[in-house]
Amino acid sequence: MLEPQFNSPLAHRSPAENTSIDLHEITTRGMIDLRGLSSDRKFMAAAKQVLGVDLPKSPRTSTSWGDVKALWLSPDQWLILCARDKAPALQAELAKALEGVHSLVVDVSDMRCVIRLEGEGSRETLMKGCSLDLIGGEYGPGTVRRVRFAEIAGLLHVIEDNVIDLYVFRSYADYTWDFLLKAARKGSEVRLFSKG
Amino acid sequence: MLLVTCPVCGAEGDETDFHGGGQAHVTRPATSDPENITDQQQRDYLFIRHNPKGLHFERWRCDRGCGKWFHAARDTATLEFKAFYGITELPPAELIAQAKGPWADYFAQRAQETKKSK
Amino acid sequence: MTGKPFRLPEGGARIDRNTRVTFSFDGRDIHGFTGDTLASAVLASGQKVFGRSFKYHRPRGVVGLGSEEMNALIGVGADSSHEPNLRATQIEIYDGMTAESQNRWPSLSFDIGAVNNKLSRFFPGGFYYKTFKWPRAFWKHVYEPVIRKAAGLGKAATGRDPDTYEHMHVHCDVIVVGGGLAGLLAAEAAALSGARVVLADENPELGGIADLTAGMIDGVRLSDWLKPLIERLSAMPNVHILKRTTVVGHFVHNYLMMNERVADHDPHLMREGAPRQRLWKVRAGHVILATGALERPIAFANNDRPNIMLASAVRGLVERYGVTPGSNGVVFTNNDDAYLTAFVLKKAGINVRVVDSRKVTSGDLVQRAIADGIPVSLGAVISAVEGSLAVKAVKIADYRKGQGRVITEKRVECDFIAMSGGWNPVLHLWAHNGGKIKFDDGLQSFRPDVHRDAMTAVGAANGSMDVATTVDEARSAGEAAAKSVLKKTKALKLAKLEVKEPSRGALESLWFAPATGKYNEGNKHFIDFQNDVTAADLELAQREGYESVEHTKRYTTFGMATDQGKTSNLNGLGVLSEATGKAIPAIGTTTFRPPYTPYSFGSIAGSLTGSLFLPVRRTVVFQWHTDKGATFEPVGQWRRAYTYTGTGEDKHQSITREILSVRNKVGLLDASTLGKIEIKGPDAAEFLDRMYTNAYSTLKVGRCRYGLMMNELGFLTDDGVTVRLADDHFLMHTTSGGADRIAAWLEEWLQTEWTHYKVFVTPVTEQWSQFGLAGPKAREVLAKMDPDFDVSNEAFPHMSFKIGHLGGYPVRLFRISFSGEMSYELATPAGYGLSLWSALLEAGSEFGIEPYGTEALHVLRAEKGYIVIGDETDGTTTPDDVGMSGMVSKKKADFLGKRSLEQSYLKGSGRKQLVGLLTEDPQEVLPDGAYAVAEVKDKPPMEMIGQVTSTYMSPTLGRSIAMALIENGRARMGETISFPLERGKVVKAKITDTVFYDKDGGRINA
Repeated sequence: MLEPQFNSPLAHRSPAENTSIDLHEITTRGMIDLRGLSSDRKFMAAAKQVLGVDLPKSPRTSTSWGDVKALWLSPDQWLILCARDKAPALQAELAKALEGVHSLVVDVSDMRCVIRLEGEGSRETLMKGCSLDLIGGEYGPGTVRRVRFAEIAGLLHVIEDNVIDLYVFRSYADYTWDFLLKAARKGSEVRLFSKG
Repeated sequence: MLLVTCPVCGAEGDETDFHGGGQAHVTRPATSDPENITDQQQRDYLFIRHNPKGLHFERWRCDRGCGKWFHAARDTATLEFKAFYGITELPPAELIAQAKGPWADYFAQRAQETKKSK
Repeated sequence: MTGKPFRLPEGGARIDRNTRVTFSFDGRDIHGFTGDTLASAVLASGQKVFGRSFKYHRPRGVVGLGSEEMNALIGVGADSSHEPNLRATQIEIYDGMTAESQNRWPSLSFDIGAVNNKLSRFFPGGFYYKTFKWPRAFWKHVYEPVIRKAAGLGKAATGRDPDTYEHMHVHCDVIVVGGGLAGLLAAEAAALSGARVVLADENPELGGIADLTAGMIDGVRLSDWLKPLIERLSAMPNVHILKRTTVVGHFVHNYLMMNERVADHDPHLMREGAPRQRLWKVRAGHVILATGALERPIAFANNDRPNIMLASAVRGLVERYGVTPGSNGVVFTNNDDAYLTAFVLKKAGINVRVVDSRKVTSGDLVQRAIADGIPVSLGAVISAVEGSLAVKAVKIADYRKGQGRVITEKRVECDFIAMSGGWNPVLHLWAHNGGKIKFDDGLQSFRPDVHRDAMTAVGAANGSMDVATTVDEARSAGEAAAKSVLKKTKALKLAKLEVKEPSRGALESLWFAPATGKYNEGNKHFIDFQNDVTAADLELAQREGYESVEHTKRYTTFGMATDQGKTSNLNGLGVLSEATGKAIPAIGTTTFRPPYTPYSFGSIAGSLTGSLFLPVRRTVVFQWHTDKGATFEPVGQWRRAYTYTGTGEDKHQSITREILSVRNKVGLLDASTLGKIEIKGPDAAEFLDRMYTNAYSTLKVGRCRYGLMMNELGFLTDDGVTVRLADDHFLMHTTSGGADRIAAWLEEWLQTEWTHYKVFVTPVTEQWSQFGLAGPKAREVLAKMDPDFDVSNEAFPHMSFKIGHLGGYPVRLFRISFSGEMSYELATPAGYGLSLWSALLEAGSEFGIEPYGTEALHVLRAEKGYIVIGDETDGTTTPDDVGMSGMVSKKKADFLGKRSLEQSYLKGSGRKQLVGLLTEDPQEVLPDGAYAVAEVKDKPPMEMIGQVTSTYMSPTLGRSIAMALIENGRARMGETISFPLERGKVVKAKITDTVFYDKDGGRINA
């Protein structure tokens, strides 16, 4: 029988060319969708026990401990990031720790496509597809924001000033990649508020 | 393009990041007493909506953001939002005082319930 | 003036005489200089006619200076890059550009449509409404096509636009619209106060009309004084300047749209990757309108002849491009400003005289003109213009304000006219979102009053026509705007400026200049040039009872179309005011609507064209499907494989092959698009009982149940199989199109109605690739996949569920069927989906496995009478209508839609009910949606009793089958009903039950 072969959402696409920023898919990311009530102390404690870090309670923020990051999605939902090969074990560990606590832990490592935008102009490129004020100082490293991006659902995770991860649902991977190639193509830079 | 603020996650954004959910504070009769609902009560619940010029209480969802439903009070003539408040909450007192039509009735009933429970 | 009589030997601040540019206009090569507009270059070549008017096809030339140009509308670009209706005064020329005039046939100088002008007594205001009423059929077949051909403005490109466009969002504290003196000063004050400022200007150069305005700041000419200011602003990190960018609309909550013409002036930029145009969406804390003012034409007889221009336009031509419209000009004015044009012309060595309607006036400029020896006729108007393709002479008549007839006049030869009826503040953006305006007697025009949004108008846009006031109010508006938006501002220290400017005499309104003879015979006083509306048309509309200005607008078309009344609005109101004896404020104004100037559909579409036109969703098997010759069917945004057509077969054959493969052997379906939602919590079962018509609290762990979902109206909205993973944990399947909608639906009820339920809902559709393995050999294929669980019928019966492995693949398996065959659905994490798909095909090859598409799926399910939400239901269909009242719980006290099913209008007979149909001729396939009638008649109307919902040729049965919703259908079993089709054809079909195949369900449990 054919052995299982893993394909990332954009595995069939060639590397980005002729773009003013670096665009590439991140294929090694594990993701766990964690639901629970931030007002439930048992839940918060159990999650911290497993993850090594408090789940963020402030909207649109994230916390991290080593490889593990917790992204705030809503008052009762977080996206836990980890190495892809660790996700099944982490999911199981979380589910076990949360037994008897109102919660839902789902391994969703295959559900989304993660595209990293890197370099000066990353924010402007994203602003061609969403209405956020990404250059206004509200979106520093660690910020998480779900938003309508190029007419579809997107999630932005700011890594560094000029490094942002864009998450979209897997089925939109090709569409999103095509959109970004067009938005970031050389010669179409906007250079908002930058001089020279 | 309306500018909407979600009171749950605090995110401010274009209305296309949100989803409008129509008139707020409509009571679903079947939730409390499914056996005793007249045809007219059910009709009113399904179809009869208030459409005033001026203060309007409505439901919104932070559709592309945190996914939570919330309430808003908006002037339908100027399109100005007067308040955003939680989906299980009542509007600020000064807006309750200005409420007309079915909302006035609803808020009065809620006030009475609160009194009783105290 | 020799050789190039219209290009002056010197002057022209915008052009570079060292760089020649050649472009084509109506097939003729025109030479200009870098910096020229199409208008200036063509005028320099000696050509005066740029187009024909809309209704009368009168020859028309350039009138304006910039975006107010209403006559010289030009199409630029060849073939599919063509963009029509651009203003010649805004088009920057480049080498190789092709442009053409519009609305003329066959040529500009001879136009067949001009016969309309000769017949113009038959084209009065409201002419369309009066003439083309009868006979009715003529409108569609005769009038409309002819009018469209003769009247349309430019033609749209027909091919696919090869250029790229994009959208961009920006947020700022303050947006300043207009980069003239007022805008620049306001922007500086706001920026120095610490605000993030966007400054947008529609022109290629900042400065507005400072270069055409009299006055000095600190002893320096205005345009020179602005240069260092522009440099300072450009260098500020909190200022973003956009040139060639028109703010086309202002909308609620200070949302603005701007169209940036990035590369229209230089296609080379496009080859380097720039978009042709970029549509900006701006959210601003405060809006400062520094949009300036536009000069008004004067309504005098035949004021539309080529070479009659606005005084500011003539001034601009000479100063900016070194071009003159002629050698002998007349300036016709009712105000002081136009005298500046006379000075500019005189300085350039061109003969000029001034005709001023004011009897008495005392401003500095008038005195200077007289002192300079320029002939000035005070208390005079132009009463006639000679020449039609060009101006040859005018008649100058003595005039006293309000005078309606010409008494004495004299003839003066000239070859162009510069007119000025005063200036109108540009209020379009102020008014787009409900800003109020007020009439100003001094300006004889409207100016901004109050606005509910954070918006301020400054300078000429605010009706402040002098430099000193403009400077003061621009600076304080900039500072105030910053203060209103920012929590903290920087202290603003600005040097006081010393302004010197000439004193101005008062303007005197001149809405109508009397003409030689009776003006409506041969003479036309044009108010709206673009729509060919004259003063007489407006007066006629009044006489005919169109008293409201909004009615007059629609009746005469005045102030409509792309121009939006820029130059015509006030003159029209003036004429109406004189016709009715009411003051202008009592007449009211018409509505200004976006866009300020038109922008292209390309810009509106932005980058969302071609493969980005619609966000398309693909499963992991998409490329495999494509490679195997699949055609696709849209299901929501998904593209699902419809059928795999191999070489030497057509779609009908491939669908048949796929169906028979499932019935006789085994087939594989990509069902990844099905919605999947995990639902968990102590109240999950109770919650599902509320959501579905049937019960889930009674479902055993590890078992599947098919559920029906209604909305609160009692109508079906979704269906699918839900499995109970644990006591408090379910996995729901929804329809492919319903995945997002149903997840949101569940959230809505949890968050807004049953808020005390402890239930979490997490959509996981895209985590899983899911495949249907269906057919009598399905179990054998599964067994070959090295399962780590028992696949026997006893251990894994119909409607049960397993979690396990197939070899190295982690899978969730559902023994469920939508084909009536023994069938499994296998889900694996999407990253392994393509691999598992291939493994299943390999394992199934010895059993004759074939992939099948959605059409085969639909035929298979129709053979079994399974419904599809959206085919058998139409949003007004209840469970009972489709014969599924057995699935509506009688025990549950409350679930969504339950109470509505009891409403009187859903009870009783007459509902359409789902039935099967067998046509009399087994080879006849009914068309989808065909109507059944109670009685066939020769022609409609016929009483309709229902319609076909699904209809197929069934290869399994070797005959056609269909389902239909028919009034009281279940009571009519065995009855034959008729479906009248096109051309008198009638198909008869017998009503049956809906299950056509394997009625006892033996195969599914095999």
